[in-house]
Amino acid sequence: MNEPNSILQGSVAHRGWTSVIDPVTKLLMALDLALLSFCFTNLLVEIALVFVALVILLISKAGKSAVHAIEFSSFLIFTMLIIQGLFYSHNQTLLVSVVGIRFYQEGLLYAATMGCRIFVIILATSFFMTTTTVSENSKYLEQVGLSYKAVYVLMSVCYILPEMMANMKKIQMAQRARGINQQKTILEKIKSILPVLVPLVIKTLDQSMERSIALRLRGFNSPHRVALKSANLYRHEMVNHRGLSLLAIILIGWKLWIIGSKFI
Amino acid sequence: MDNRQQIHLENLSLRYRGIETSALKHISVDAEFGHVIGIIGNHHAGKTSLCRALAGIVPTIISGDVTGTIQVGSLSPNLDWQKYNQQTGVVLQNPAGQLSGLADTVADEIAFDLINQGVPADQIKRRVLNVADQLGLGDQLNQSPGTLSGGQKQRLAIATAIVTDPSILVLDDPTSEMDPLGRQHFFSWLVSVEKKTIFIVSNEVDDLCEIADQIWVLKAGELVAAGKPLTVFNHLKPDWQLAEPTVFRLAKLMKWSIPGGADEFPVTNQQLEEAYYAAN
Amino acid sequence: MRVQNIKRSSIWKIRLSTATMTLIPAAVGINYVAKAFAEGLKLPVWLGTLGTFLASMLAGPVAGAISGFINNVIYGLTLSPVSTVYAITSIGIGIAVGVLHAKGWFSSAKKVFVSAIIIAIVSAVISTPLNVIFWGGQTGIPWGDSIFAAMIANHIPVWISSFTDEFILDILDKVVVAYLAFFIYRQLPQRMIRFFRDDK
Repeated sequence: MNEPNSILQGSVAHRGWTSVIDPVTKLLMALDLALLSFCFTNLLVEIALVFVALVILLISKAGKSAVHAIEFSSFLIFTMLIIQGLFYSHNQTLLVSVVGIRFYQEGLLYAATMGCRIFVIILATSFFMTTTTVSENSKYLEQVGLSYKAVYVLMSVCYILPEMMANMKKIQMAQRARGINQQKTILEKIKSILPVLVPLVIKTLDQSMERSIALRLRGFNSPHRVALKSANLYRHEMVNHRGLSLLAIILIGWKLWIIGSKFI
Repeated sequence: MDNRQQIHLENLSLRYRGIETSALKHISVDAEFGHVIGIIGNHHAGKTSLCRALAGIVPTIISGDVTGTIQVGSLSPNLDWQKYNQQTGVVLQNPAGQLSGLADTVADEIAFDLINQGVPADQIKRRVLNVADQLGLGDQLNQSPGTLSGGQKQRLAIATAIVTDPSILVLDDPTSEMDPLGRQHFFSWLVSVEKKTIFIVSNEVDDLCEIADQIWVLKAGELVAAGKPLTVFNHLKPDWQLAEPTVFRLAKLMKWSIPGGADEFPVTNQQLEEAYYAAN
Repeated sequence: MRVQNIKRSSIWKIRLSTATMTLIPAAVGINYVAKAFAEGLKLPVWLGTLGTFLASMLAGPVAGAISGFINNVIYGLTLSPVSTVYAITSIGIGIAVGVLHAKGWFSSAKKVFVSAIIIAIVSAVISTPLNVIFWGGQTGIPWGDSIFAAMIANHIPVWISSFTDEFILDILDKVVVAYLAFFIYRQLPQRMIRFFRDDK
């Protein structure tokens, strides 16, 4: 949403290498990276994949959302290292012992591999999020043949979230002014959110009712609708889509084959 | 007169599903095509319901029982709604609810209706610029619709309604969030609109008197009066609980009646002037 | 600027009524806000399926399933990428709520409790394999995970430990969400309930 991609603008000549890659290709790239990390169980390969994803993100435009997502998951990865390091069922080799608490190599390796996978997924999706805008995505999806209704549903979510957060902050401010945050038990806490949550929910549903009326009045499902072309000039769209989709299928097939062969 | 050039409502009733009482009861009225019709009434008089019937929102989008006839020129919302809707621009009571929720900029929001109709891109641009200019949104074209003030959102809603150049406009209280200056702009713009039939719900009786060819008064779902502003406001009943135009109150106080002896008081500035000179 | 015709014959076409189409983003928004509330008040529950519950109750299992699915995809793209895979759980929840509501299992406070338990079972059954694949069996909620840690420390199989961790959290969460949804649904005006139900 940072760069307006309005009907008033012509084609955007050059905005860096990421602007010639279409959104679907970017999404497939993220998917393939994630699948790759699931196909390998070697920690070194995983670290290499994290590195690749990090480089791609850094040479495009490192976003705040990436930092946020890494923060969000780091704590969980940390607890994973502790739990698996202590209790992983295949634990055999003692690695370190801190004041009598014994950490095992197998569990730590297992948790580290999983942690890397999660980082790969985070970095790859951040690349998609930071290099595309909502309107670019919606125009492109409609162009490649997704029905406008489906595009609408997917994209309007991106617009409704900030709207809801703003509404919530307003209501919370009003609530805090009345000093409502003093409850102790869970039930009291849940009861205390009702006077904020219920009006917010009803207001939101009311707005979606109105919007549905307005959209029909404005003829959004008219058979005459034509998709606007995105201002970006993409390269090798079909080759990218087909190649990356094929890779994804191969990777899934490979993983399934490995899992299947264990049982035979 | 040819019936096809008329606005003709006959025995129009509307009842929402699951609600016992009718929102509109046996409304019959005629008006001329191309006129501006002001709709007034107290709370729960049925103004919004009448707009919904006139726009075909009930029964096409909201379920309800609509009986009777609605004919606007050669079109009727209950015969071929798609076709009727293409010729109709609607501004809903809440302007924010009218926005598509999927436009980065004001320009894209206005263009939405045109894209839906499959208008070529170069025409879209021209029409958007033209409409934005008419409604004073020229400086906001690259802004996000979410950042607009209430009054600006209302002007944007109006812009989206007129951008397809419809022959019928249904405006449900389109100035409720505008400041006095914005309202003044809006009504002087409305006067400049040509060749459109306009139904407008508003509480601004002063402005309505200036621009409306007809005033319809609703009370509890019934049409209790219909006619020229002068006639309607000279025969208001107290139980309708409606505000009188400022001009009318002033003239009544000063006993400046309309020349001609019908003992009616003026409701527009021009009538006031004539009445004043006749009295002095 | 060029204009291009939409290829209407695409396999991606999803049939949706306009009302359902605008209900889905609202449901996702409600999920998001409810989750934010739970986090803000440090509740031991997620509440992040409230909107999915309401969408299923208002417009049926398909609307709920789509809401839940999109909720996790968007949440995954913006905050926590791994939550994307739990979209499968959300689909299950959406369908379960829609079917239970249609069969009248949301009509009284007693029945809601039964519904909540069924939904919790559905949710835990789908989530457990995902927890094992992605998090080695953890759920990410500290006190649930402490149970998990205690169980595997006593050599109880990962699958059983993980299911216990998930199910205990799910029971609490789904009971709270089910009663919230039940309470809110009863406050909704009739015109709204009809609007989403009639528009098929």
